[in-house]
Amino acid sequence: MSLAPETEITEMLFRILFSILLLTLIVLLSYWQNINLEKVFTWSFVRGFIQILLMASILIVIFELRDLLILYGVLLFMCVFAAYTAKNRFPYPNIFKLELVAITTASIFVMVIVTTPILTIDSTPISIIEREGTYIIPMGGMVIANVMVMTTIVLERLIADIKKSKGTIEAALSLGDSSWNSVKPILKESFRAGLLPTTNRVAVLGIVTIPGLMSGMIIGGVNPVIAAIYQVIIFLMILSAGFIGEIMIGFLFIKELFTSEDQLKISWFNPK
Amino acid sequence: MNGQSMDNQKQKNNGEDCPICFQNVSFIINSNQIINNISVRIDRKGITGIIGPSGSGKSTFLRLLNRLISATTGRISLDEKSYDTIPVRELRKRIGLVQQRPYLFAKTVEDNLTYGPRIWGVSLSKKDLIELLDKVALPHEFLDRDVENLSGGEQQRVSVARSLANNPDILLLDEPTSALDIVSEEILENTIRNLSQEGIKIIIVTHSLEQTKRLTDQLLFLKDGKFIEKTSTKEFFHKYNEKEIRGFFKKKESR
Repeated sequence: MSLAPETEITEMLFRILFSILLLTLIVLLSYWQNINLEKVFTWSFVRGFIQILLMASILIVIFELRDLLILYGVLLFMCVFAAYTAKNRFPYPNIFKLELVAITTASIFVMVIVTTPILTIDSTPISIIEREGTYIIPMGGMVIANVMVMTTIVLERLIADIKKSKGTIEAALSLGDSSWNSVKPILKESFRAGLLPTTNRVAVLGIVTIPGLMSGMIIGGVNPVIAAIYQVIIFLMILSAGFIGEIMIGFLFIKELFTSEDQLKISWFNPK
Repeated sequence: MNGQSMDNQKQKNNGEDCPICFQNVSFIINSNQIINNISVRIDRKGITGIIGPSGSGKSTFLRLLNRLISATTGRISLDEKSYDTIPVRELRKRIGLVQQRPYLFAKTVEDNLTYGPRIWGVSLSKKDLIELLDKVALPHEFLDRDVENLSGGEQQRVSVARSLANNPDILLLDEPTSALDIVSEEILENTIRNLSQEGIKIIIVTHSLEQTKRLTDQLLFLKDGKFIEKTSTKEFFHKYNEKEIRGFFKKKESR
């Protein structure tokens, strides 16, 4: 593979320049409505653009590789970055550690399952998705990004609800209940909150939306039916990894928030 | 009650000597010293009142007793057994805590009353439930009521009954009547008095001097995380006049 021909590059440059008009629109809207996110918008787009361009250049190299270990190494790096991004949303201690464990375990577990050969047809090993960089990296990236979002929703929900229900939780503890039991209803709700957006996306699949992966494959020239099958597979991957990640982050967070003597660490909410 | 030997901590030959004991207990959070090197002995019987200005550490004292928090330094013991040798959940079952606000669970009164015993695998009979309602003077038909539809006073009584369902030896009450009207307050005070007569040790944090006078046998006066006075209620009101006592409270209350 090599870089695209010169005319294509000039075309792309114009496309980017014109799409910046949309960014200007976003910034203007933010300014007009006093949302105060002008800097955040601009900065995140600039940063995101550079990141994804770099990624794309690296992908050109990576796709040449057939070594699964290197591909998993790339996924691992993505996990670390995702955990770091998730951490930044919470001004509390140890979130990076929790997110890293949850995102990595859940994503890698599911990726291993889908790339493990189940049977061989004509001496070619068949796994749920192709064992190639062109599949593993983008699909793995989608899984990791979604696990990050889902675990973040769970954490946000947990922190808000536990803050709100501190009295009720301590009422349960003061009766001799375990810390785990005292937050069970809250934990359950936060799992649901994390899963529902993705579940809704599955429910409207094909009718309201043609999601990212399928669109990408179609634009890339793949038969829409094959693209559709991959879309269903990626949703199953996202939901299973997301669910595992949610349960992990929930458990780890509760363990973090209570002492071994079933006491709520109130000081945790006011880190110095 | 054995008032004579009350402060005689040297005589330690059996568990009766120091039923509820704090030895050099401090509690520090975010470098704020809330409880400051407290040593105190509390009787096993009767009603002990904890009084003092806002922010003096009264609630923290009760939370230490129920072990919702652990002392930073020092030793708390129950019947001469150190707190760290008693399994925490068992301890909480024996020492119930009623908070300032009821913090009831969803959904019915019955759900709340059965919550504690269910932790220990015990199911309450209809008779047990009715008995609990009687103790807090709530009508029997309240069992199926949604707690959201109860008045503040009724909710607080459900919260007391919920703690009683665990059959505690000691009941801690954190300003249980501070948000209640006079009628509810009177009902709850009667309940507290009856419980004490049944042999349940009561430790109550209160803001109201009248309530202190009506209810308690023994008083602990807490200020800036320290006990500055421990007397029988009678002595306390004998020693200081009303104006002096109000002065004790006013200092930090004006916020």
